[in-house]
Amino acid sequence: MALARPTRVTASTGAIVETRALTKRYGGLDVVRAVSIALPPGSRTALIGANGAGKTTLLALLSTLVAPSEGDATVAGHSLKDRPAALRRAIGVLAHRPMLYEEMTPLENLGFFARLYSVTDAEARIEELLRATGVWQRRHEPVAVLSRGYHQRLALARALLHRPAVLLADEPETGLDPEGVEMLDELALTVPGLTVIAATHRVDRIEAWATGLVRLEHGRAVEDTASIGVGASA
Amino acid sequence: MAVVVKDLRLAWRDRAGWASAGAFATIAVLTYSFAFDLATGDVRPLLPGVLWTTFLFAGIFAGGQSFARESEEGTFDALLLSPVSPTMIYVGKALANVLAMLMIEFAQLVLATILFDTNLVSLELLVIVIIGTVGAVSLTTLLSTMSASMRGRAMLLPVMALPLLVPLLIGAVRATGAALSLDAGTAPWTLLLGVFALWSAMLSVLLFPMAVER
Repeated sequence: MALARPTRVTASTGAIVETRALTKRYGGLDVVRAVSIALPPGSRTALIGANGAGKTTLLALLSTLVAPSEGDATVAGHSLKDRPAALRRAIGVLAHRPMLYEEMTPLENLGFFARLYSVTDAEARIEELLRATGVWQRRHEPVAVLSRGYHQRLALARALLHRPAVLLADEPETGLDPEGVEMLDELALTVPGLTVIAATHRVDRIEAWATGLVRLEHGRAVEDTASIGVGASA
Repeated sequence: MAVVVKDLRLAWRDRAGWASAGAFATIAVLTYSFAFDLATGDVRPLLPGVLWTTFLFAGIFAGGQSFARESEEGTFDALLLSPVSPTMIYVGKALANVLAMLMIEFAQLVLATILFDTNLVSLELLVIVIIGTVGAVSLTTLLSTMSASMRGRAMLLPVMALPLLVPLLIGAVRATGAALSLDAGTAPWTLLLGVFALWSAMLSVLLFPMAVER
């Protein structure tokens, strides 16, 4: 299944995701402190660290949901500050919550998001993803009656709907059974060409999909084997 | 347009918000009709106030619910993550709220026409209701976004909205009075109402991207 878009990179570094002293401060507290990473296209980065280390906030910064206090980031050649709309088109986000309309069916949910993202072959794309995630049989049922596992599968379909170049995932395995985790690996975490940054506590599974990792402690990147020129990535 | 269609579809599916607002408006109009002595007095001078207080509270009640649900389900984040600009998201949501509110208001105008034995379904009055609704809903949609993630939002929204809506309420009541051939003074109330509605809509469009920034 062709998932990823053609990718654009930062000319100077060749990175598809690059942060430069990216900082987020709430009150006087630095939740993310001067994080600088440069991830190559097609890399799969595990974002690890204890609760409160800043993983979710870093993903929220990269997805434009949260504005940085200092620093900047570039995703698929688009700056967080200057071209947020173009950046959002290049990313797919799989968050803690499935971000689905519970009164609508899977078909209606994906149909709505396909219109927001101007997906050209929406009908075929939706069918392809619903079949791949195993939700096709239940496509006419309201999301409210589906289980947590189905919500997560559908959320994955929503995140991949517009063929993003970069997938940002926050604890993507949450709520999935072993079969669901296998599907997650197949559709997202190990797809050639798709750049993935996933915050995870499942350290035991990192080797199965990640090409590098970034460890956060108190908002700082204290270990980075994923960035260009520093480790084993891509 | 996708946001408008989606919001109207959700409003229809989960009728709790808008049905409650419609029920509230109906009960309010019915209560007023019982409270006033229709047999002995001319109740027409009271009608503008009856209608607009009912519309205002019903609008605040329903408008607050539409964003609260988006915030609870996390779907508002999904909207903000899309390439659609926050301004267009706001316009879509406000338009859906205006359309749903107008349906409730039209039903109340018909009901009040029957209960108060006064024709309230005239073109002039409908124009005033549309203008007033655009102004009120623009502001309440913005404010409900700001209060959606706060504790005590059910109380917070009216506390924030009502003082800001006083000029609109005065204009709408006076313009409605003039449309009912009541003494409303010489000021061009419909024009003033239109100016306030325009100001309210433009201000909300400009402030919405800042209101959703974190």
